[in-house]
Amino acid sequence: MFLRRLLFVACLVPVSCASAMSAEPPGATAMVQGVIERYVAPAYGTFALTSRELGDAVDALCAEPSPQRLAGARAAFAETVDAWSRVELVRFGPVTDGNRLERVLYWPDRRSTGLKQVQSLLAEENAAALDVAALASKSVAVQGLGALEFALFGTGADDMTRLAGYRCAYAAAIAANVETIAEALETAWSAGEGAAGLWAAPGPDNPLYRDGGEALGELLDIMIHGLELVRDVRINGFLGAAASGDRPRQALLWRSGQTVATLRGNLASIEGLLEAADMEAHLPEDRRWVVRSALFELANAQRALAGIEVEPVEDLLADPESRATLEYVRLVTASLSDVIGRQLSGEFGLTAGFSSLDGD
Amino acid sequence: MRHRPRAPLVDRRAFLKAAGSVFLAGLAPGAARAMLATDAVFATAYADRQGRYGIALLSETGRLLHALPLPDRGHDIAFDRTFGRSAAFARRPGTFALVFDHAGRGEPLAIAAAPGRHFFGHGVFSPDGRLLYATENDVDAAAGRIGVYDATDGFARIGEFPTHGMDPHELLLMSDGRTIAVANGGIETHPDYGRAKLNLATMKPSLAFLDRETGALVERHELSPDLHKLSIRHMDLDARGRVWFGCQYEGPALDRPPLVGTVRPGEAMALLDMPPDILSGLRNYIGSVAANPAAGTVAVSSPQGNRMAVIDATTGTVLAVRSLTEVCGLAADRDGFLATTGEGRIVPVSGGEATLPDHVWDNHILRIG
Repeated sequence: MFLRRLLFVACLVPVSCASAMSAEPPGATAMVQGVIERYVAPAYGTFALTSRELGDAVDALCAEPSPQRLAGARAAFAETVDAWSRVELVRFGPVTDGNRLERVLYWPDRRSTGLKQVQSLLAEENAAALDVAALASKSVAVQGLGALEFALFGTGADDMTRLAGYRCAYAAAIAANVETIAEALETAWSAGEGAAGLWAAPGPDNPLYRDGGEALGELLDIMIHGLELVRDVRINGFLGAAASGDRPRQALLWRSGQTVATLRGNLASIEGLLEAADMEAHLPEDRRWVVRSALFELANAQRALAGIEVEPVEDLLADPESRATLEYVRLVTASLSDVIGRQLSGEFGLTAGFSSLDGD
Repeated sequence: MRHRPRAPLVDRRAFLKAAGSVFLAGLAPGAARAMLATDAVFATAYADRQGRYGIALLSETGRLLHALPLPDRGHDIAFDRTFGRSAAFARRPGTFALVFDHAGRGEPLAIAAAPGRHFFGHGVFSPDGRLLYATENDVDAAAGRIGVYDATDGFARIGEFPTHGMDPHELLLMSDGRTIAVANGGIETHPDYGRAKLNLATMKPSLAFLDRETGALVERHELSPDLHKLSIRHMDLDARGRVWFGCQYEGPALDRPPLVGTVRPGEAMALLDMPPDILSGLRNYIGSVAANPAAGTVAVSSPQGNRMAVIDATTGTVLAVRSLTEVCGLAADRDGFLATTGEGRIVPVSGGEATLPDHVWDNHILRIG
């Protein structure tokens, strides 16, 4: 939201963007509409679909526990996580209503408060957590993918190969809760409710986007903030500057071995947004290399991550080659921040705002 | 613009006398002439075209009088009018502050944050200039602290006390010279995760009054639970000794919560009901608050909404709204406010404007002479 008209290129790390353009960047609205139709709405659709399948798989497990059904629920969990990671960098609009973002995935849980809440629900067999509506109003930490991961993969989860019990019922309630949120998000985006609709129709009376520049700034912000999140929060959260600073248990979804998968999903979403916007088409021919250079870097990072086969994270970090790959990906995200936050934004006459950063 | 001096400001001649030849010697001839002609001196953090950071001293008309480099990005400045020096704080989660003497007596002195602490970017001196107070984060506990530094002993850290909230941001000294008001923004961050906000679903901002001599909590004010995502961050004092505070909203962008309020010890918080079109233009984000007690006005800026608004401190009526791209820094001057922007513009009260092509201005500007 905070990309601004380019005055000069200060060597600042772009963190956020807005526009104060009097003239619209050419094609701004078309790019945003393209992104909504071809990326964001379908991605929420996939998230809703996978979460329905997850709900079915967990219900099936609870109805008749077996190693196969537990494996099925775990696989459905991985699919849902993948779908979420491909759309979670969109951190504005319907997902900000009623703490949906945090309710789907509360992370990082730095002081393990969320984990303790989940463990105590399981220990108490708290019946109130089994009702989906009641669960939705409980702590954000006990009703989303993080809590479900513990239920399906944490200590004691293997008991569900033979005994469903409270743990499975709780997992089913979480899955149903995620499904409810995912469907609300899918509906909001496909119907253009609230911010989702306003984004595609900038104008002087639009309360969020006064012109196409502001709307395009929001799109670039998803990528700029997204890259910052991937690097500062997701990667740096567990990958130290040196191996001695590694903290494998601080990695997102390490119990289910989904850490690298979420990084791949996040980077894939940036790729998907760039392609759905068809940004190249809105740049002069001799400037299109900027988009291609971003896509090239993203492809390099994906190729590197695809080579990582070792998980859980603890083993991955112990393997020098895999660890070096993560360091490389961290570097690529920094380079991408420059390509997208400075060069690409600059091509559209936008630059990172200096004094409009959150919380200062 | 924060700790409002109660005595008249150091006048220009006294400032220049104190500044002496050392300070002026560091200025280009043109700047020295401007300094002699200027009526007021302001200080603000900047970034320059090369990506370097520092503190700039500006004249009332926007001339650059002096630039003092900082190792990283700065935020706000605390002014000690008794000894004629200022302390510039690193932007959160920075770990340095730099004290510089306006007269150039000695090299600037760097203060390093204590182990397990970082600065939030704001500080205030005691009226006698002997102590410096800074808002800090107890990183492990995610708890707000006021760090206390002995200005008579090389700014040694001599203690700390709790702010009774998370994420303390701006603080100011009340007119009794003893009570500190601190805005607990309520947002949990941790250096391990950059500037990511870790607790938006459960954040609980507050505004606390603390006794700076005992560290005791005098009063703690909270907004109603439906406004728990309204982070209270910036403040100033009006002529009647009331705190005016400005907020940043972390909830859905389409919500239109009030963004400005007032409070003082013994009185409940009151939120200002602004006309919807004006409120909407502020984009749920106030970047700085400055009072002009002499003029009876308070100004708030929104760099995200590219607007500043001037409010009548008595009636709460919005007197003027100005569109200014990425406006943030505000300081009372004459009967109005000097404003600076993240694009490098300086908009003086006297009209006209200056843009220094090499600089962009950080969020705050403070009159220091």
